[in-house]
Amino acid sequence: MIVTVVAFVICLLIYVFYAVRAPGGPRGGSALGLTFGIAGYALMLYAGLLGARKQVPVWRIGRAQTWMRGHIWLGLLSLPLILFHGGFAFRGPLTAVLMWLFFIVIGSGIVGAAIQHFVPRLMTTGVPMETIYEEIPHVRAQLRAEADQLAATVSGAASEVSTLVDIEQEDRERFHQVYLDKVRPFLENPDAGLTELSDARRTAEVFESLRRLLASPVHPVLDDLQNICEEEHQLSRQVRIYRWLHAWLLVHVPLSIALLVLGGVHAVMALRY
Amino acid sequence: MSEVQLTIDGMPVTVPEGTTVFDAARMHGIPIPTLCHQQNETPVGVCRVCVVDVNARVYAASCVRQAENKMVVTTNSDKVRKARRTLIELLMADHPSPCARQRQSGDCELETLARLEGIAQPRYPRRLSPRGQDNSSLVIAVDHEACILCDRCIRGCDEIRHNNVLGRRGKGFMAGIAFDYNLPMGNSSCVSCGECMVSCPTGALTNKSVVKTVLPGEPVSVDDLLDLPYFQKVSGTFLDLNKNAVVRRHFKKGEIVCREGEYGSTAFYILEGSADVSLSTPLAHVKSGGGASGFFKKLTSQLVGRKQERREEEGERTSIPIDASVDLPYNNPVATLGPGDLFGEMTCMSLYPRSATVQAATDCVMLEMLRNVLDIIQRNKTLKAQLDANYKKRALDDHLRSVPIFASLTPEFIDLLREKVELVRYNKGDVICNQGDIADSFYLVRLGFVKVLEPHPGGELVLAYLGRGGYFGEIGLLAGGTSGEGRRTATCTALDHVELVRIRGEEFNAMMAQFPEIRRSLETAARERQEQNRQRLTTATSMPLDHFLAQGLMEAQSLLVLDLERCTRCDACVRACADAHDGVTRLIREGLRFENYLVATSCRQCRDPLCMVGCPVGAIRRRNSLEVIIENWCIGCGLCAKNCPYGNINMHPFTVMANDPVSPGRQMAVVKQKATSCDLCTEHAEPSCVYACPHDAAHRVEPNEFFRWLGTPLETEARR
Repeated sequence: MIVTVVAFVICLLIYVFYAVRAPGGPRGGSALGLTFGIAGYALMLYAGLLGARKQVPVWRIGRAQTWMRGHIWLGLLSLPLILFHGGFAFRGPLTAVLMWLFFIVIGSGIVGAAIQHFVPRLMTTGVPMETIYEEIPHVRAQLRAEADQLAATVSGAASEVSTLVDIEQEDRERFHQVYLDKVRPFLENPDAGLTELSDARRTAEVFESLRRLLASPVHPVLDDLQNICEEEHQLSRQVRIYRWLHAWLLVHVPLSIALLVLGGVHAVMALRY
Repeated sequence: MSEVQLTIDGMPVTVPEGTTVFDAARMHGIPIPTLCHQQNETPVGVCRVCVVDVNARVYAASCVRQAENKMVVTTNSDKVRKARRTLIELLMADHPSPCARQRQSGDCELETLARLEGIAQPRYPRRLSPRGQDNSSLVIAVDHEACILCDRCIRGCDEIRHNNVLGRRGKGFMAGIAFDYNLPMGNSSCVSCGECMVSCPTGALTNKSVVKTVLPGEPVSVDDLLDLPYFQKVSGTFLDLNKNAVVRRHFKKGEIVCREGEYGSTAFYILEGSADVSLSTPLAHVKSGGGASGFFKKLTSQLVGRKQERREEEGERTSIPIDASVDLPYNNPVATLGPGDLFGEMTCMSLYPRSATVQAATDCVMLEMLRNVLDIIQRNKTLKAQLDANYKKRALDDHLRSVPIFASLTPEFIDLLREKVELVRYNKGDVICNQGDIADSFYLVRLGFVKVLEPHPGGELVLAYLGRGGYFGEIGLLAGGTSGEGRRTATCTALDHVELVRIRGEEFNAMMAQFPEIRRSLETAARERQEQNRQRLTTATSMPLDHFLAQGLMEAQSLLVLDLERCTRCDACVRACADAHDGVTRLIREGLRFENYLVATSCRQCRDPLCMVGCPVGAIRRRNSLEVIIENWCIGCGLCAKNCPYGNINMHPFTVMANDPVSPGRQMAVVKQKATSCDLCTEHAEPSCVYACPHDAAHRVEPNEFFRWLGTPLETEARR
C-alpha cells in the first residue's frame, strides 16, 4: 500500500508538471503519455496474472497473498496512470469503451474486495452449521432421509421402523398429512417458497402451532424436525452468502479479460496508425 | 469283598460294602434326583437334592451316605419329596430362569427338576446381592447368578483334568466359584479344556458358540482333533460343541492362502507342507516432488524406495515384522513356514488385517481356526512350548537385531539369551507394569500393541504406542543398575492380545556389562525418551483443562487453522494440497470451530497417535521429532485410516507392475495403495495450503499458539 501511495504521488507530481507544460495539453501519444500508458497497461497485465497464478498454486513464485496484495494495490494504481495517459479525456469510441470498461472493472474490483472483506464475517456468524459448499446437496439429502425416518416413527409408514410413538390413529394421520403438506415439500425444495416453512422467521410459529395441534408424545419428533428445518435455513443462507462472495467475479473476471484484450488492440492501433 | 443287605423302597437289595445309597439304588433301577453328584466325580453331598429317609434323626444325602446292613431306605415318601421340592424351589428362587443352558439346549438340570416337581414360580424372593457375570474367556461364558455351588466344575477341573484352576471363594451370599485367585476366567491359568462347562448342571458355565460362522474347508472330527497333541487334554464334548470353529484346508502348490491387507478372523496352523510368506506391496514410500527446482513441472506423487531416497532417521531396519513366527528380511521380504508353524494370530485374536501374503510352496494341509479354538490351543502347554521354541529358534535373533541398539549383539550372547528369555501373554486391558513398580524385566513386543502412559491430573497422558519391534522397561532397569531397585517410570497396558519377550533383570544387566556400547545407546535413548515425556507433560499441564478435554486438540502438535473471517471459501488451500500430492488432497476444509477459527481436517501429528495401533506390519511410527512417518513396507490395508478419529489419513492409489498369477512370467498392472497423511510439504519452507491462500486465512500453528489466539489466559486456567 505504501509503495502504491508513494508511486501515485510521484506520478501525480510528474503528470501535473507535464500537463501544465505540455503545449496543447497532455496527450496519450506523447512520450510521457506513452510512458504512463505502458506502465498502466503493464500493471493491468500483472493484475490479470493473478488468475493464472491461482491455477498453479504450488509453484513457488511468490505467496498467493503477495500476489493478491499486488493485484489490489497495483491494480488500483493503474487507474490514475491510465487517466494520466489519456489526459482525463475519452476521445475516440474505442478509447471511450476502454475507459468505461476500465471503470467497471476497477469498480467491481473495489466492490469485490469490500465483499470479501466483510461478508466472510456474515457467513461465520450467520451460519454456525456451515458445511462445504459442494456438499450442500448431499447434506440436504441426508436431512431429508433423517426427517423421513423421524416421520416414520410417528406415522408408521416405514416398514423398518421398530418403535412407533404411542398416539391415537387420528393423530398419526394428522401428523402424516402435516408432514406431507408442509415439511416434506420444504425439504425437497427449500428455496422454492412452497410452504410457510420457507420463511425462517415463520418456522418457529409453524411448529408451535403444530405442537398445539398434535399430542404431546409427538413433540420430541417435532423438535427434531424443527432443528432439521433450521439447518436447512442455514444451508440456504450459506448458499446466498456464498453467491454474494463469488458472484461479483462473474462481472469482474470476463470484463477484465475483455479490457486486457481491447487494451492490446488499442495499443496496436494507436502505435501503428 | 463283603456285602451289605438293605431295603430300598421296600425292595431288598445286596450291594458290595462301601457302596453309597445312591449307587445302590441306581444299580437296582431306583432313580434318585441329584444336582451336585456326577458319576465320574467324588461325591460331596452339597445340594441335598438326593436326600432319602434312612430312619435316622435327619435325612441323608444318598450320594455320600454309605449303605449299611439292614438299613431301610425310603426315597420317595411324601415327606422326602416335600423336602426335595422345597430345596429345588429355594434354588430356583435365585436362578435366572431360563438360564443360558436352558435357552441353548433346553437341558438345565435344575430347571428340568423344577418342571418335574411342578414348580412354576418359586414362593421365595430373589437374592439381593448379585454375583455378576464373567465374559473374559473366549470360549466359556460364566454366569455366577446361575451357579448353585454344586462344585461339579471344581471337581471336573481338579479330578478329571488335573488343572486345579477352579476353587471356591467367599462366604454366605457372596460365596461362588473362582479361577485362580479370583481372576477373571480369561486372565486365569484356565486352559479352556471345557471340562467345567461340560460338568456344570446349569447355565453357570456355558459354551460361547461361534454362531452362524461356517468356515470353508473340510470339517475335522473330534477324534481327529483329539489325535493332535494340543487337543488331547481338551474335553471331547467341548470340542464337539466347537467343531465348526476349526476346519482342515488343503492348498495346492502355488495357491494363495491369504493376502496382505485383507481382513480376516482366522489363524492357520500348518500340519503338512510349506508356505512362502512375502509382501507384494512395493517397498517404497510416497514422495511428492517438483516445486522450486523445476517449478514449471507440476508436483507429482510417486513411490520411491530407499535407494532413491533415504529419509532422515529411516533407521537401519533390516527386517519387517509380520504376524507369524518369523520376520521378513527387508532386502528380500520372503520367508518360509513349515509344519508346526502358526500364523495369523493377530488377525484371529484382534481382527487386524493380514500382514503378509502366504502362498503354498508345496501342497499343504493346514488347520484354519477361529478365535475360540486358537485360544484353546494357545493355552495348551505342549503347543505353547512348541511355538515358543519355534520363535526362539527362528525369529528371536532377527527380532532383537531389528532393534538398532541391539544390532551388535554377538551370536553367542543371543544363544545364551535364547534359553533364558520368556514369552509372556497378556489379554486386552491387562496391566503389564505400573508406574512405581520395581523394574525387574526388559520387554520386547512380539505381537500386539502396548500403551505406555503416565497418570495425570484430569486423565492419563499417553506417551507411546509400541507395536512389534518396540521395547520398554529399560529406563527402570538402567536406573536401578545391579541393585535391582529401579522403578517403572510409566504404566504399560495391553491394548489387545499382546505377546512379549521378557528378558529378566539379571540377563539384562549381564547384557549391559558385556556390551557397554549397547548400554550407552540405551542410556542415550532413555534420556531422550524422558526428555520428550517431560516436555509432553509440561505442555499438557500448561493447557487449560477444558481445552485439554476438548476434542483431543491438546494431543496435536500442529494444527491447520483457518480464520473464517478472512477465508472466502475459495478452496485454494484444498486445490493446492491436491496439486501438491497428485490429485489426492490431504486436507478437508471442515472440522471443529472455535470462535471464528476452523481447525481443518488435516494430520495433527498427535501425541497420542491412535493411527499407529494395529498396523499389521508396524509401518506407521513416529520420528524423534514426533512427526508421523509411514515406512516403505506399508501394505495399504487402510487400518490406520480407519483408526484415525479425525479422518486425517488417506489411501493413495498407485499403479504398479506385478506378476500375473494366471500367466507366470507375465507382468500386469495392479493398483496398490499406500497410506498418506499431511507431510507439511517438508520439501518447502511452507505447506502448500498456507502458501496458496490469497487472504492470509490459513495457518499451521501449535495448539499453544492457537489457544492464545482464542484469548484464553493459559496461566490463569492452569492455576484454577
